[in-house]
Amino acid sequence: MKITIKTFAHFKDICGFQEKELTVSDNITISDILREITRLHPEMHKHATSVLCAINQEYKDLNYRLNDGDKLALFPPVSGG
Amino acid sequence: MNEITFQKDPITQATINSKIGTHLDGAIVTFIGRVRKNSRGREVLYLEYEIYEEMARKELQKIEKEAVDRWSLNTCIIIHRIGRVEISETSIFIAVSSPHRKESFLAAEFIIDEIKKSVPIWKKEFYNDGSEWISERS
Repeated sequence: MKITIKTFAHFKDICGFQEKELTVSDNITISDILREITRLHPEMHKHATSVLCAINQEYKDLNYRLNDGDKLALFPPVSGG
Repeated sequence: MNEITFQKDPITQATINSKIGTHLDGAIVTFIGRVRKNSRGREVLYLEYEIYEEMARKELQKIEKEAVDRWSLNTCIIIHRIGRVEISETSIFIAVSSPHRKESFLAAEFIIDEIKKSVPIWKKEFYNDGSEWISERS
């Protein structure tokens, strides 16, 4: 199935992309994807406990299983205001 | 009137005055967040805000709805700057109105606190010798 990953703030700098389409296996979780991203970009490791995740603009936890067409966003704690 | 705006241009007094309050309101409370020159011991030259706009709008709508329902507000205006914002400029403007003052005070504080927890907007500070993304909770 196909999904889109978006990154923001310093995660975008670390991962080197803002938006990417990926083909992934069925039943994959956000946690699985994050593990692969951390393998490719080891600097993500130190953010492992603070990463926030959203699917289709709604906050989800790491156990969420993705569906075809989902938009996953990975970002650090927010700092607006 | 409820409104959520993200804008690159400065937030002016004219923008603000035209929107707040109804004839039912005895109180208007506004909160203005500004860009500070000093942050954690470093001199800041300016900021840049990045936003996940589709999600930020949804999150703000939830916060606004909760505040309006909880404190029976007649007005709830939230304006957040995005992109580059200079020192002393307004980065966020919140205005709420209600028949009595207590509800507006509580609502304004609730709204800014919730924005700082959940709305996907990130601040990058620029200094003489570089720049840094700021994460409030890390």
